Amino acid sequence: MGFNLSKLALYFSLLVCITTSGVSGLVKRDAPYEQVNDHPTFSHQKTDKDEPDKYFHESTFSEHYDGRFAEAPLIYEDRRSHLTALLHTYISAMQDMGAETWLMHGTLLGWYWNRAILPWDSDLDVMITERSLHHLATFHNMSIHHFSLPSPPTEPRLKRDYLLEINPHYKNSSVESVNKIDARWIDIETGLFIDITTLRRNATAHSLGEVDEMMVKDKHHYVYDDIFPLRVSSFEGAAVNVPFAYAEILVEEYGETALSEVHFENHRFDVERGEWRALRYAELVRFQRQGALLGGSFWGRKLDSESLFPD
Amino acid sequence: MAQQEMGYQDDNDGQERSLSEWQQELQTPFPRRPEWAGASVETSYAGPDLLYDPGYASHSARTLRHGDYTRRSAPLIDQVSNGWRNSEKTAGFYAAEPEDHDLRLCDLEDEGSCPNTTADLVRSRRFRRMLAVVLVAAVVLYYSWRWYLQPRLQEEWDLKQGFMPARSNGTYGIARAGHFEGTAIKWLDPELVPGGEGDSKGNRRLVFVGDIHGCKKELLHLLEKVGFDAKTDHLIATGDTVSKGPDNVGVLDELIRLKADSVRGNHEDRLLEAAKTLLGTNLPPESAAATSQGYAKDAKLLRELKPKHMRYLRDMPLMLRIPALPHASASRRKDKDRVHENIIVVHAGVVPHVPLEKQDPYFVMNMRSIDDRTHLPSALRETKKGKSRPWMEIWNWYNDRLFRGRSLKGFHLYSADEYEEEQLAESQGWLGSLWDGVFGTGKAKMKPQVVVYGHDSKAGLQMHRWSKGLDSGCVAGGKLTAMVLDAKGKTEIVQVGCKNYKT
Repeated sequence: MGFNLSKLALYFSLLVCITTSGVSGLVKRDAPYEQVNDHPTFSHQKTDKDEPDKYFHESTFSEHYDGRFAEAPLIYEDRRSHLTALLHTYISAMQDMGAETWLMHGTLLGWYWNRAILPWDSDLDVMITERSLHHLATFHNMSIHHFSLPSPPTEPRLKRDYLLEINPHYKNSSVESVNKIDARWIDIETGLFIDITTLRRNATAHSLGEVDEMMVKDKHHYVYDDIFPLRVSSFEGAAVNVPFAYAEILVEEYGETALSEVHFENHRFDVERGEWRALRYAELVRFQRQGALLGGSFWGRKLDSESLFPD
Repeated sequence: MAQQEMGYQDDNDGQERSLSEWQQELQTPFPRRPEWAGASVETSYAGPDLLYDPGYASHSARTLRHGDYTRRSAPLIDQVSNGWRNSEKTAGFYAAEPEDHDLRLCDLEDEGSCPNTTADLVRSRRFRRMLAVVLVAAVVLYYSWRWYLQPRLQEEWDLKQGFMPARSNGTYGIARAGHFEGTAIKWLDPELVPGGEGDSKGNRRLVFVGDIHGCKKELLHLLEKVGFDAKTDHLIATGDTVSKGPDNVGVLDELIRLKADSVRGNHEDRLLEAAKTLLGTNLPPESAAATSQGYAKDAKLLRELKPKHMRYLRDMPLMLRIPALPHASASRRKDKDRVHENIIVVHAGVVPHVPLEKQDPYFVMNMRSIDDRTHLPSALRETKKGKSRPWMEIWNWYNDRLFRGRSLKGFHLYSADEYEEEQLAESQGWLGSLWDGVFGTGKAKMKPQVVVYGHDSKAGLQMHRWSKGLDSGCVAGGKLTAMVLDAKGKTEIVQVGCKNYKT
């Protein structure tokens, strides 16, 4: 009798364990907070209960941060240096691992304008080949890469850690709404990340006879010859790859004005210095008052506040 | 005194008559003056003899002049008649009375009123003739404006607006754009310029050839037809010398042997980029299924090329510039058969007004059209979203403007020097600009240039005043075109037919 009771209890508890673990542990989502981090004190990751298949999640406070590693977004001035470090370490790591990667979308647009990240950008966009992705998934998934970054001579070098996480849905080549991103390169200290998408063969176009068509899971379509052979160029001081027909890709995605307009997102491209500068409210008002946003030469538009309030 | 003059006599002068007698006397005409009238007095009055005129009683008071006294002996009151009651009053009288005023001009019964006079006018033939002429002239003017003048003016305006900052918030040429590996701009060797320092007699010629694409046989045939002499002639290719055709290596060998110049085309660009990953490795060749058909062909070609070919491809500049020929005759505005100015040789095209250093290399090797407003080029003939034009249209308009010496005031600026010049010109004021306009500024004005290009086989041979397109689609069974330029600046077009090598 006692034996039966204890056996029953054992089976019952086993049943309970299995069902509860089935609810939380066996469902595929990004690695649990406890396993990857101990700061901040608790996870700020969105649960996305309405999308159970979604693997990567974002923080509750911003779309561009990983909530497991951050509790608040960075301010504008700090973000830039962290993004640059994110990029440098990513390029270096991919080169070490032998993955073929290149800049795309917003990052490519920044490259085109002045070989730098656009100041209003909160994330970076890159692409890799299918072969590289398979290699990374097989050998480097959930790897943490430790870097010590250069710093001013008197200060110690910055120690940063980066996590490479691959989405297990990468094997599925069809267009998905929730699992568009195939991999992420995440800055563990700040929660910033790089979205990595893969350029795949377009199976449907292939069956229709168009053999050179490529596709990405986020619904972009490209022609093989527009991307390859990749060009080598510099970006933020590092050697990067860019697509072959970079200008065409940019114009198709963003329109002609993206490659010509000097005013965007409350920033102005300083033609003399060749960089994007944020407009302060007073400058914005001055420009609007002078009607200088439209019309007038783009040279000689001083963006310093000294000329605003001459003494 | 007046009485004495008039011969006025006493009332009771023995002439007492009855009133009826007086009336009778007054009303019947007298053949002669009565006795009591006295001596006649000379007056200057030339009108009717009022007193003795039978119609006197009906004369109105107005005909009686003020200073003209007539011979009379009757009291003045008798000369006053009542005719004034029947006479018409003048308009001034009724100034304050509006009742009768309405019908004054519009009285239909009156001859001189407005509707009647206009009706008469309209009915008249002369007026109708004039009206017809005016209407026809108006219609002609209106339609000539709408169909000819207005579209032309609108087009001029639209073309000009693309160059000015007014309508847009930026322009092509401000962003850093892509990077060219190699020499971007190269000037032709001075020894090879016809009529230049190496050619005092003016015997040399320049032979420009369109996209060869590996058609070696046709190239040799063309050179023969042109009468190419390696001692005096120099061959310049407009890029795309290899790919697609039957004998790519042969064409490169020939070009190297002739020491020909060429600009880099989009296919050479592709080959050079692919070479960075493919050459020097022992990796197995990529199949077309793993890459693309074009890439597989390029990979195959790269394996056939030798280092000297690779060096030749790498030496190809983005743009080749040729100075204006010294012996060329004076240039004219519409002369398509002569080239007197600087020449720029590129593969696909150049955007006007943007400095050559700022042109994006990708577009220089691929463009076919330009966006209207931002002047951003495109490899397509017509962009899907924006409004685009063939780039040579805008190029020709711009250089024609430079040729005529029209000002570029208000056009985009691309460098600090240009900006400083503009600031200087602005600070001069109207007097300074007037002085410049009359006597000319000291600095050199921008000169127009001729562009020689290939790349657009569908458009075929395109000879305009400022742009010469030489790609006539040889590899697809069209023609291979050469433009021969002699020392005097005269151009000659020579063509040979090609076999269709496109599979």
